[in-house]
Amino acid sequence: MSDIQQELRKTARELLESGEVGYIIGWGKGRFANQTHPIFVKDPAKVDELVWDDYCLSTLAKYTQDDKYPEKKIGICVRGCDSRAVNRLIQDHQLKREDVYLIGIPCSGKLDPETNEPAKKCVECAHRNPVVYDVLLGSPVEEVPQPERFKEVEELEAMTPDERYNYWADVYDKCIRCYACRNVCPACNCRECYTDQYRVGWQGKQNNRAENQIFGITRAYHVGDRCIECGECQRVCPMGLPLMKLNRKMLKDINNLFGAYEAGLDTETKPALGHYETNDVEEFM
Amino acid sequence: MKLSKSKVNQALDMLAKEATVLVPMIVDGVSKFAPWGTEGKLALDIVNTLLPPKDALFPQTEKMYKYKVSAETAEVKEITDSDKQVVFGLRSCDMHSIDCMDAVFLTKGYVDNFYSRKRENLTTIAINCTKSNPTCFCDSMGVDPNNAASADMQLIDIGDAYVVEARTEKGKAVEALWQPLLEAGEGTATPISCELKLDMAGLPAKLRGMFESDIWDDGYQACIGCGTCTYICPTCYCFDINAENHGQEGVQFRCWDSCMFSEYTRMAGGHNPRPSKKERLRNRFMHKLAYFDERYNKNLCAGCGRCVVNCPVNIDITRFIEKVKEVPVNG
Repeated sequence: MSDIQQELRKTARELLESGEVGYIIGWGKGRFANQTHPIFVKDPAKVDELVWDDYCLSTLAKYTQDDKYPEKKIGICVRGCDSRAVNRLIQDHQLKREDVYLIGIPCSGKLDPETNEPAKKCVECAHRNPVVYDVLLGSPVEEVPQPERFKEVEELEAMTPDERYNYWADVYDKCIRCYACRNVCPACNCRECYTDQYRVGWQGKQNNRAENQIFGITRAYHVGDRCIECGECQRVCPMGLPLMKLNRKMLKDINNLFGAYEAGLDTETKPALGHYETNDVEEFM
Repeated sequence: MKLSKSKVNQALDMLAKEATVLVPMIVDGVSKFAPWGTEGKLALDIVNTLLPPKDALFPQTEKMYKYKVSAETAEVKEITDSDKQVVFGLRSCDMHSIDCMDAVFLTKGYVDNFYSRKRENLTTIAINCTKSNPTCFCDSMGVDPNNAASADMQLIDIGDAYVVEARTEKGKAVEALWQPLLEAGEGTATPISCELKLDMAGLPAKLRGMFESDIWDDGYQACIGCGTCTYICPTCYCFDINAENHGQEGVQFRCWDSCMFSEYTRMAGGHNPRPSKKERLRNRFMHKLAYFDERYNKNLCAGCGRCVVNCPVNIDITRFIEKVKEVPVNG
């Protein structure tokens, strides 16, 4: 890993010194060994702040949304998840490919800082290697097939409607509506979220089961076919809510209705719900 | 007098006959102050619960008024429900947070009725810390982890029992109630201190002169603008007021709000004086470390470390404090 870190710093220095990029988004170290955070390195003298270790958990592509008209290219470290988020944003016309320089890093998964066990989102990852990049550091790692991608969804589907209602009621009774899930999500890129349109009143600000569930289900539907399964929503949730179960339920249905589908693997495949074909199933019409 | 740890459950049962007793518990994977009797695990051994006991006094959503409109009259009724509550087993940092909320809601010429009714009906029973988390820094913030001075009762952990120190009338009432369970005995706990030390000397005053400092230009970029830090913070007390309307009647409520949300400072007409994460983060840190001190002479940060642990992108107020220390005055 330290070899990649060295290579990363060298690449970053070259990119910044040559003026190819304006700044680089990567990870820096926190106070404790199990902490990292996204950092934005402009100064070539500071590239040694960039780290690549077991705790680089944050995904980075969403930060491009804070700088939509960059003067120079933005350099971003991309693993499989970050690169799919880049594709996702490009496909949504929220990012231009020519505005980013992608430093690809194959990733064998990260650790949960609390337990030091492999992070859940990484265990479930089906694309460890970046699917798009300008330079690749290190060699590609072996992909891990995910035959149990929808296992948790199937467990939910096996419940009776009442059991399922109670399950989600318990989940959303815990939600504190901090919106960390929405804010970290690369598919949540609306200029203004419906929840913030308070004068319209789509979403009440009170914390109760009904409002919390409305938020959860609306977000799941809005994200829909655009979920890249990075698992960040679930990782950042301070209450530990199993949010990926909801997203994967959407994806499972999409896979059943429209064939094998994963979001953000390229920018050419149209999102399953973002276009139609004349032979689409229409049993629900 | 002392209360044997083997009798804690009985002590809580006795209290629960007279009031809702909030105790540190792990309920469905989340550590928080839950009513005694909730299905879950009593967790008196953890240093800090994920959720502080703040909502005993300042619920995330609190109904304030009912209203009803008919032909030409409008009826408004204040909702005054307030049950007796006991918070059992809170730490000094969380007691400091209640002191902060008391200052906000009860002093400086305005008494918030909704808060004050709950406060009058609340009894606080603190337990000293016997260990600290690596992210604890309360003693740098003027909080003593060994003693919560303003609690109604302090329990001192001496191993197999708690020494009971009733400090107020409410505390003495609890001691009287527990009389059948108490045994004679004294004892002291070995004082602890936090490993993480921050030098706060002169920092609030220094920060007040740093509104335009370059220090704010770096570090905010990673913030995702969520409300995690404010919603798990024991001292954050910002709220919004809104109404849930059903035809001719409805309920006005207040609910937590967060200065980290873009919509928090948005004004009628759309102008936002804190347009980016930079201004929002500056406000949070300034409020915690400078503005509150200026108005109430204490830090609005209790040093509990909850935000340091739970920020999804590791924005760390302790590192910020160190950074402020490093820059030259007027920097």
